[in-house]
Amino acid sequence: MDKNLNIIGKSKPKLDGKERVSGRAVYGHDIELPNMLHARILRSQYPCARIKSIDCTKALGLEGVKCILTAQDVDVNRIGYKRDHPVLKKDANCQRDEIAAVAATSKEIAAKALNLIHVEYEEIEGIFDPFEAMKEESRQINLHGKGKDLYGNKNIAESFHYSHGELEKQTKRSKVIVSRRYELPRVTHCCMATSNITADYSTMDGRLTLYASTQVPFLYQRDMAHALKMDPSLIRIIQPVIGGGFGSKLDMYPFEPICALLSIKTGKPVQLLYGREEEFLASPTRQTMIIDLTSGADADGKFTFREVRITMDNGAYTSWGATTPFVMMQTYSSLYQVAACDFQAKAIYTNNPFAGSFRGYGNPQATFSIERNNDLLADELGLGKDEIRLINANYPGEITGQGLHFKTCGAKPALTKVIEASNFIRKNREKHKGRYLKGVGLASMLHVGGGAKIYRSDGCGTRLKLDHYGYLDIITGSSEIGQGSETVLAMIASQELGIPMKHIKVVNTDTDVKPWDVGVHASRTSFVAGNSLLGAIRLMKQKLDRKAAQLMECEAGEFLYENGLIKRDKKEIRIDKVAREMHFGSPNELCIVEYFYEPESSFQDKQFMGDVSGNYAFASQAVEVEVDTFTGNVKVRDVYVSQDVGRVLNPMGLQGQIEGGVATGIGYALTEEMIYEKGYLMNPSFHEYKLLTAVDMPDIHFYPIETLDEAGPYGSKGAGEAPLIPTAAAIANAVSNALGIEFLTLPLSPEKVLKAWSEKKQNELANSQSI
Amino acid sequence: MNFNIESPTSKEELLNCLRNHQSGYFRLAAGFTDLLIELKKSKTEELTVINLSQIKDKQFTGIDIQPSGIRIGALVNVAQIGKNQSIRKSFPVLQQAADALASGQIREVATIGGNICQASPSGDLSCALVALKASCEILKMDGTIRHESLNDFFRGPAVTSLQKNEVLKSIVIPANQTNKLKSGFIKIGKRSAMECSIVSISYHFQLGADAAILHSGIAIGAVAPTVIFCREAADFLHKLNVNKIHETDQLKVAELIQQSASPIDDQRASAWYRNEVLFNSAKSIFEQD
Ligand SMILES: Cc1cc2nc3c(=O)[nH]c(=O)nc-3n(C[C@H](O)[C@H](O)[C@H](O)COP(=O)(O)OP(=O)(O)OC[C@H]3O[C@@H](n4cnc5c(N)ncnc54)[C@H](O)[C@@H]3O)c2cc1C
Repeated sequence: MDKNLNIIGKSKPKLDGKERVSGRAVYGHDIELPNMLHARILRSQYPCARIKSIDCTKALGLEGVKCILTAQDVDVNRIGYKRDHPVLKKDANCQRDEIAAVAATSKEIAAKALNLIHVEYEEIEGIFDPFEAMKEESRQINLHGKGKDLYGNKNIAESFHYSHGELEKQTKRSKVIVSRRYELPRVTHCCMATSNITADYSTMDGRLTLYASTQVPFLYQRDMAHALKMDPSLIRIIQPVIGGGFGSKLDMYPFEPICALLSIKTGKPVQLLYGREEEFLASPTRQTMIIDLTSGADADGKFTFREVRITMDNGAYTSWGATTPFVMMQTYSSLYQVAACDFQAKAIYTNNPFAGSFRGYGNPQATFSIERNNDLLADELGLGKDEIRLINANYPGEITGQGLHFKTCGAKPALTKVIEASNFIRKNREKHKGRYLKGVGLASMLHVGGGAKIYRSDGCGTRLKLDHYGYLDIITGSSEIGQGSETVLAMIASQELGIPMKHIKVVNTDTDVKPWDVGVHASRTSFVAGNSLLGAIRLMKQKLDRKAAQLMECEAGEFLYENGLIKRDKKEIRIDKVAREMHFGSPNELCIVEYFYEPESSFQDKQFMGDVSGNYAFASQAVEVEVDTFTGNVKVRDVYVSQDVGRVLNPMGLQGQIEGGVATGIGYALTEEMIYEKGYLMNPSFHEYKLLTAVDMPDIHFYPIETLDEAGPYGSKGAGEAPLIPTAAAIANAVSNALGIEFLTLPLSPEKVLKAWSEKKQNELANSQSI
Repeated sequence: MNFNIESPTSKEELLNCLRNHQSGYFRLAAGFTDLLIELKKSKTEELTVINLSQIKDKQFTGIDIQPSGIRIGALVNVAQIGKNQSIRKSFPVLQQAADALASGQIREVATIGGNICQASPSGDLSCALVALKASCEILKMDGTIRHESLNDFFRGPAVTSLQKNEVLKSIVIPANQTNKLKSGFIKIGKRSAMECSIVSISYHFQLGADAAILHSGIAIGAVAPTVIFCREAADFLHKLNVNKIHETDQLKVAELIQQSASPIDDQRASAWYRNEVLFNSAKSIFEQD
């Protein structure tokens, strides 16, 4: 696609930016419907308990209470990716469990009513350790789990096995082999807007309207219909402005059908909003994982094999998060060239809260383990940390062991760029003395860049409507959750049709209006929705070209679209005039087109082989840290990011994605952790859950790599998840470089770092005395 | 959380308010940044909050500089303290503590009086003020003033000597007796803003012509039930040249400071960590960089 681009590639502020920063944006919390009731959920007092009785009489007697629901009062299906999750619980399996729900005329009354519901529990000793759960003698945690039949263990919720190459042979060929166990913490999304839903059921026509912050409106519609035993087409999903998704809104959670049920029972609109504490307690998390990884390399530093066993703490129920192994196996099989790979991952039920999906989708964990081991392999071989990565870097044309086809690949350019920009080679060798010790670390990542074929369709529909006055509506199936893709869509239309940005509106919030799309995930939206839009624009132009030729009395064929004009040679006509003539002139027709785009990617086969994405994104990061050996504090000074984004569509939007991703990655590396004691969350507030702040952010230096992959719009690739994937790995490598200490767990909290440093100093002292 | 609120606008109205509520349960509030968190957790129903933030009286709201010292009204907010030129010049430890507190938004509403009356062992301004040997001016319901050193005012975590019929009116910091200073605030936490101290150290040394320490104040926060004034360490430093404190003396000071601490394990850090970091940070005060 070689042409002059005057919009694409130039920074444009987000279409919704002004609304959001000025407070005009209507979030779910701002919705108010006539006669609306307010709902609250009573959660379990214990992480694991039998419920002997629930007495709601007192609460029902409170003035203003309109409805109380418990498991007994509802006829619903179980929800979740494995349908193992009751909407309201008969027994408690984790601290989040929804025992009862109240709808009342005010929030205060609803809250008061919760205190009046009397639940009699019989507490049971919970199982909080996945290894404990896997023991033969352990109790079955989720009675709807099918682990016994499917995987030979009642507490296995999901299991994956993948392999390629000849493991035994490659193990023998290896000059060095490194084996480590890594443990990665539970962290959460911290969306600025807490979870929310407003349900509006009409007893007149039996239709249900949901104002819901979902990332996947059409799947959500189907899940909701399944839960409520309703016809999906009677459910309309309207997405208000969404205050952060990051993967957290990929699943439907119990509070959503609960709110719908309250509306159905009362015949009134019902709103349910989480407070911040409830958000920490009851919204999804990233998986905690225990990763046993063995990696090998031959005498030349070429990677020979990876053998990995992953134990994921699934929590009490199974969400989409349990499928993170799909993404992780790509990383183990194909990040750098690897001759053989054997991958096994199991999600184990426990009485901890269930994990969901989170930007990066298992990839930060996988990348952490691989890139830590890579540093150790380099050390054992006496190779530079940069060298070992360059030797093994992915390359254009590569078809990996798993069948991923890298038609374009910016892995090596990205690596080279961050190595140079950060002065990695020199800094990695420097030894520092004194209180503050500096270090540099390197890590790379691989992620899908052109969608991911996991559902039956990975497609997206677009409808375009040009009105009498030359204004364009882009009605897209895709959703905006803050990632900036609607701005990119408007830019594409402006670029192609010569219509000014301010004459373009993106309509994307209503399932009654918009065509199918699978949802926001897998960094896919600009890619899939962009391609879909380009397809629609082609059709629109054919229509306009035909009419313009007729009006200007010239030959049919292609015209130039610029500044609201359609032109060829010396002839030109305003685009709005063409639209009007189409509507009013003969033969009367609408200036509306529609197009459905389905990426050319393929499904994986039963062995997980296949080219699942339209293209692949590559990135490297080099991080420089300074460790305070007096306090154990790690300060990230500079982050050098280079990423193969195919082509930069909106530089400003992309920079935002990079900076936001890196910020999340730094938090994952250094401070964020949900602390659980026997199934209870100990730090459900921003005070104790250490999300980093603006002043903690380092300088982020970004170097895009443009490989112009023909699958993507203008050659672009998905970019949203990548920036946080390698960050924690690079930071851990940098801290190890600074201190000469290996860390096997995250976060690298000051206390953990100081403890390791003190032990090292003591050992050194002991050794020097014994000599 | 549900409460009645009364907002006196003058000292007289405040005293009336106090009198009217002596028999019931009431709370004072200024910036509400501590109180709201507390009330959210409590289940008390019949509560009156006496909101001090509308009081216009200069004694509560002003910063008054006198030759004998500086008087800071209890309602002065943390941002004002950080920006005040006299404080910046004469009491850097206080200005640094103010700048390290919470975030820009919180600093605009959180008051010095609230920080003190909260009596949190990790109160940053409290820590600086103890090192500065500040004293409290407490207004009693009968209109009289009671004076008490801040160090004595603190009685335990969240406990002060304040009675039900009293309000903190202002804080007085005695003027420096020399012009040369070494004064600073060290705050250890996990992030650079919105952070409660895991350990804090305040130091304020007034120096003679030859850089000898003539008057010294050292206080530590978050390592004991209250902010602690480190008397032994302060005494030990008397007359030493601040620029030439020998390494063994640096260690001695750090040890003395550490000895006045009695940290505990909690969610934010272990006692081991607090001890270690307190020692290391104390040692760093006199390191030449
Ligand atoms: C996000 C966040 C971050 C924070 N970070 C820090 C930090 O870094 N360092 C730090 O030290 N603190 C921090 N705090 C705590 C708090 O902001 C400070 O202690 C602040 O100075 C309290 O002042 P206030 O005016 O808001 O007090 P309020 O909440 O109004 O009152 C606090 C207590 O003092 C009493 N009180 C207030 N004024 C008077 C008076 N004049 N006479 C008698 N009693 C009175 C109240 O009854 C109450 O018990 C933080 C708080 C939050 C919410």
